[in-house]
Order: sequence, then structure tokens, then C-alpha cells
Amino acid sequence: MPVKHKILIVDDDADFAEALSSFLEANGYQVLQARDGTEGLRLAKTQQPDLILMDIVMRERTEGFFTIQEIRHTPGLEDTPVFVVSSIYSQVPGFRVMPEASWLSHDDFLAKPVDPPQLLEKVRARLAQRPAKEVAS
Amino acid sequence: MKVLKLAKENLDFFAAVVQQFGEVHAPVEKNGKYAFQRLARWSDARLDYQRTMLPPKKYFLPPHDTLLEYKDGQGYVPVMDGVDRRLILFGVHPCDIYALNILDMVFYGRYVDTYYQKRRKNIAIIGIDCTPDEHCFCRSMRADFVDRGFDLFFMDLGDHYHVMVGTALGDDMVLATGPLFEPTTQKDIEEYKRRSSAKKSAFKLEVEIRDLPEIFEMQYDSTLWKGLGDRCLSCGSCSMVCPTCYCYDVADDVELGSRAGKRSRSWDSCLFSTHALVAGGENFRSGRPARVKFRYYHKQSRFVAEYGRPSCVGCGRCISACPVKIDISEVISQLRRMEQNAIAK
Repeated sequence: MPVKHKILIVDDDADFAEALSSFLEANGYQVLQARDGTEGLRLAKTQQPDLILMDIVMRERTEGFFTIQEIRHTPGLEDTPVFVVSSIYSQVPGFRVMPEASWLSHDDFLAKPVDPPQLLEKVRARLAQRPAKEVAS
Repeated sequence: MKVLKLAKENLDFFAAVVQQFGEVHAPVEKNGKYAFQRLARWSDARLDYQRTMLPPKKYFLPPHDTLLEYKDGQGYVPVMDGVDRRLILFGVHPCDIYALNILDMVFYGRYVDTYYQKRRKNIAIIGIDCTPDEHCFCRSMRADFVDRGFDLFFMDLGDHYHVMVGTALGDDMVLATGPLFEPTTQKDIEEYKRRSSAKKSAFKLEVEIRDLPEIFEMQYDSTLWKGLGDRCLSCGSCSMVCPTCYCYDVADDVELGSRAGKRSRSWDSCLFSTHALVAGGENFRSGRPARVKFRYYHKQSRFVAEYGRPSCVGCGRCISACPVKIDISEVISQLRRMEQNAIAK
């Protein structure tokens, strides 16, 4: 049986995460969910996902940004792609992250509401470059 | 200097965005005290801190630093691990920025220490103003205000920060956050002046440094040094916490067989009994009074002769760290009184 790519969704919006999870699972991915940055970091360390979808505004307004920094400093996760999926642009008008920002350099920024086919296309394109990891459970 | 303002409610976003310029390190609380460390989340930052246990010098001159490795047949290979790491120190007080400017004179002036130089270039400084406590005397040391040595400097003006842009990097940080920063108004400038003035009158501790090098020379044989030496434990805490003490010891860690090894440097203190110990067993300052005296003379007198100002910035760390309560402000006042008495005789 082929090994499925593993995607970690870190989002405090349970309804959104569930819906996105079902959509991704229906398209052949294994999906894990975390409701905050701490849990997300723990799951990322133990489950070694192939890609992470990260919300920004969770318990703290900038939680996602700091969790990404933690991920970038965790051995084995430095190069894991992180797509930011957030409504931060609508919450803070005028706020923008420079596309060349080094700590998001491999990654993407998707504003909520997310267009699922567009997200799927980006996920597929990104994971096509990475063989799925096999992690002993 | 470019001056802007940032609404306090947007500070967390600014801190998040500047991560693109480097890891954000800020003061966090540790058992009622404060230390600079990498932030796991913004809410860990304590910008209202009094003083950190160790000054920011730990980032530029790490307590233990491997300088080079050597191997038979390969010679010496510099070890530059970590010197290119981009960091942002968020929330550095004026006295600590001033202290870095002083360290620059030693390590980045006539003689350049490459390790220090690289770290200085790669570590951004975002300063923040503070409120003096009972141990602060930075105003007496003219280190309560800085106009250089930072990329950005924040002053709390109630609902917003008054932000001074010190470098092109600081300007890039501002630009990266889009419209979070706004132009200041005349009213903001007036409030800035009012707060600056209020800070000046908030100092509880004042140390008169006028003519200090001369007083030190005249009181070279004072009985004060013997008394201080009897109290001092030679623990070196004052040197470790000092933002401008820069003495280090260099040691070789040779592998078995003596064909390879590492050379490293570690923080040293002139209070340690081995500081002036040389080959042959001679120790130029074997007694504690001589060592305490040396520290005071170096910081308050000889540094003035070499660099034009005392190396002390009045941060108050040595006062709060000393286990036997030796207080530099009292030592200086006592010395001044002794000199005045000597003149009066």
C-alpha cells in the first residue's frame, strides 16, 4: 500500500479544520489536527508531517507566526513546508507579510475563506516535490 | 532621525513580522527575575522588566566560545558556529545599548575581534525605554539616553510607542509592517518631552562622577580598599552580570595524544584569585583588596584614560547581584568624602 502524505492542520476553528480535513482525506491525504500552536508543535515533532497548514490568530493574535518560528528551529522540521491559512489580512487591514520573508521562504500564504480546489492544487504541487515520510508509530 | 509611532495594540503584530529579519529574543520572566531568550510566543515577552540577570553581552561575547580547532597536519581552523545567526534583541534598555557601544570601542575599534564583529552585524537591537529602580544610576553615568547603537528604539507614551529609527535595517523593519506605523504629531512630541523629563526626575540614586579619575588616583592607598577586600567573597558575580566587563580566559582543550584540540575562551573576572596569576606562580593581585581595587580602577579610571569615559553604565546589576551588598554608589561616595576630608586637612 502506498504511503500517504501526511498533512497537519493547526487551527482553533474546529469546524473549519474538520471540513478541510475531510476534503483533504477525500483527496488521498492523511490528516492530523491540532487546536493551538503548542499542540501543533508537539504533533509536528512526533508525527513529522509532510506539510503543515497553519492558522495565525489562535489563543494569541500572533500564535501562528511564533509557532512557525519554533518549527523552523526544530531539528527535522526546518524544511517542512508551512502554508499559512489565515484571515489575518481581513482582521488587520493593510498588514502584509513580504513574500520573500525568510521564515516563510518555502511556503505559501492563503487568505481565508479558502478556495478548496485552489488549496488542493497548491498542496499537490508542493508535495509532488517531496516523497511521503514513513514514521514509525 | 526618523521618528514614528506605533499603537500599542499592534506591537504583537510588529514583533511577529520582524521575525522575518531574525529570531526574536526578548526578556522573559524566570522565577521573578528576567532573562533574554528566544520567544516561543509573544505573551512570554515582558517589556516592563526591570533588568535582566545577564546583560545582552551574552549574545556578543558568549560565556563560553570555541574559537578554533587544530589538528595535526591541518593547522588551525576557525570555528565560527553561530556567528552568522540572525537575531533580534527586542526590548534592550538604554544603559545596555550604551554598554554595547562601549564594548564596540574594545572589540570593534582599533583592534577588531572577528567573532564579536560578526555577531554585532547579525544581531539587531530594538531598544525600549524603562523606569529606574533603587539600583539604577545610568543617568549619573550619562547612559540613560542613547542616540545610536539601536535599529529601533521604543518609548512608551501611554496608548502608543514613540519609535526612533536608528538604522536602515530598522527602517526596513518598519516598511515590512506596512501601515502599522504612523507619523507622529506635535502633541506626541510634547508628550515624549514630558515623559523624558519625568524619567530624569525618577532616579532615586545619583553618583557624582566629576573628577573621579583624579580622586581615584589620590586615594590609591586608601584604607577603603582593605575594608572592601575583607568583605568581598571574590565570587565574580559583579563581573559576570556587568554589561561591559569583557575579560576572558583562553584555554586549550587538547585531545589524548596531543594531535588535535580546541581553543576556547570563557568569561573571566578580575576578582578571581587566578586572574593575575602567571607562569612561575607569581600572582600580581593575590589578595582580595588588590583585586577589588583593580576592578574599580579599571572601570572608573583607567578606562577613562584609554577611551574617554568610564566603562560603567550604571545599570545597577552589580549592586543587586553582590552577595555581601557591596554597592558601587556607596564606594564612590565614600571615596569622594575621603578625598574631600583629605583636602580639608
